[in-house]
Amino acid sequence: MPGKTNRGLWPLIMPTFLALVAITVLPILVTLGISLFYVDLTMPGMTRFAGLENYFELFQDSRFLNSLTVTAKLIFIPVALQIVIGLLLAMVLKEKLPGTGWMRMAFLLPAVIPPAVSGLVWKLFIVPGAGGLSYLGHVIGVDLSLDLLSMPGSALTLVIVTSVWVGTPFVALLMLSALESLGEEQYEAARIDGASWFQAHWHISLPEIRPVILTVAVFRILEALAIFPIIFVLTGGGPAGATEPINYYAYVNGFEYLRVDYAATIIFFFFVVMMGICSPFLINIARRESSEEAR
Amino acid sequence: MLRTREKIFCYVVAFAFILFLLAPIVWLLSTSFKGQLDIFADPPRLIATVTLDNYREVLGDRDFMHSFLNSILVSSGTVILSMILALPAAYGLSRLRSKTKVGLLSWVLLVRAAPGMIYVIPYFMAFNELGLMDTKAGLILINTVFTAPLAIWILISFFDGVPGEIEEAAFVDGATRWQTFTRVALPMAAPGIASAAILVFIFSWNEFLFALTMTRFESKTAAVAILNYMGYEGTEWGKIAAAGILILLPVAIFAIGIRKYFVQTSAGGVKG
Repeated sequence: MPGKTNRGLWPLIMPTFLALVAITVLPILVTLGISLFYVDLTMPGMTRFAGLENYFELFQDSRFLNSLTVTAKLIFIPVALQIVIGLLLAMVLKEKLPGTGWMRMAFLLPAVIPPAVSGLVWKLFIVPGAGGLSYLGHVIGVDLSLDLLSMPGSALTLVIVTSVWVGTPFVALLMLSALESLGEEQYEAARIDGASWFQAHWHISLPEIRPVILTVAVFRILEALAIFPIIFVLTGGGPAGATEPINYYAYVNGFEYLRVDYAATIIFFFFVVMMGICSPFLINIARRESSEEAR
Repeated sequence: MLRTREKIFCYVVAFAFILFLLAPIVWLLSTSFKGQLDIFADPPRLIATVTLDNYREVLGDRDFMHSFLNSILVSSGTVILSMILALPAAYGLSRLRSKTKVGLLSWVLLVRAAPGMIYVIPYFMAFNELGLMDTKAGLILINTVFTAPLAIWILISFFDGVPGEIEEAAFVDGATRWQTFTRVALPMAAPGIASAAILVFIFSWNEFLFALTMTRFESKTAAVAILNYMGYEGTEWGKIAAAGILILLPVAIFAIGIRKYFVQTSAGGVKG
């Protein structure tokens, strides 16, 4: 019977996969190719093979090395905060306390606001004098009208805060649905034995949803640098490169300095590193999905 | 169930975070209804004289409305192209019993996880050669690089949920695989397909990097065009706020419409 075999399935799958190879694998290979050449857009015909020289240049480029540090900060600090705060919020929302039900709906908002608009939302919020932060400062009687974007430390902090703002509610909703899928017996038993709310979650719920936490973390890490539009709008990578992660530096090279070969080198290097770190996890996730028999 | 102290703690956490979450949005909303003078009033005020001038100006701005229409057309086009690619593949993968399945699924995830910037340079060069620069067709194509794998991944689990017995019955009646796909699986997975389509729409609506690099004026989308209000003579915050509200409103409504599926689907592989 056709239902038990793979008959007729490949004609459904193959056209799409061939199309996907054409629009994804091919461009990635082209990027690799470009990174192996000297390309000068202003002087066509001067293109010549460079081997790995663009890659050697990376490690003598202090601005590139700085962008690596910024990348690490902009990946790990926001993701760690998103997971920790998201878990805490999920535990709180799970209690379904009166007056908190509407929050589940509000939590959807930051995840669907266009990132460029999120950047503008925060840029407006901190405008000295005209922003909500100045307003809040006025209400509580503290002067908060500081130019946060002019100092490296506060600019980076602001990008991290925005990243946490964008990602945390969504992480919380994911964790919440994981928590709500757990059985209550062990948790209740622990509570009856005198464990506090926090202890019961810490020792019972969290170990159970560890695979979910890990999966969420992998996806958040992979998507952490999708804050490109936020950086573009908020800081433009500045001041002095303090908020310039690796993909932003690649953009600057490609579209401001018109050094496409070097831009390709930077981003291909990043692609290889990220895939090296994350692909074992992704393959694992794919394996879990595929072992989940349809029936 | 909770002790009083724990209850207070929970309320404090919840309301502190919701203040953090909503304060900037509320400020955007309040600024969108302020006149230029009230925006820079000292001390700042949350609610000033309410005016619709900012909305009137943004809605009357032909360039911005042009980009808004572009957003609608590009997002709709991306949904159509992504679904044409994703639906048969997702159904096929859902039914496939083969070792290649893990490989194909991993590959779908890897493609989706690649940084967007890696596609920008080759597409930029190719679009210049092919005359696709600053066209809606070009933008739809490059958006699909991300949305097709996303849609495949989401749709697989919805097709997994279609009971096999019904398909078996169709086969017994002599239906081909294609007929079973179009007449049995597609209608039964319809709610999932709708939410996947909405998610692709939201993704495409919000997309920034490709729209920034692959368009100049003709096909610029609203998410990029809003930056035009950050001119050299200073930022027109009233218009930015009004335009920001107009851009986020459609996707916020969509997200609430599919909230039941939203978390489950947009996680892309995270199972609760």
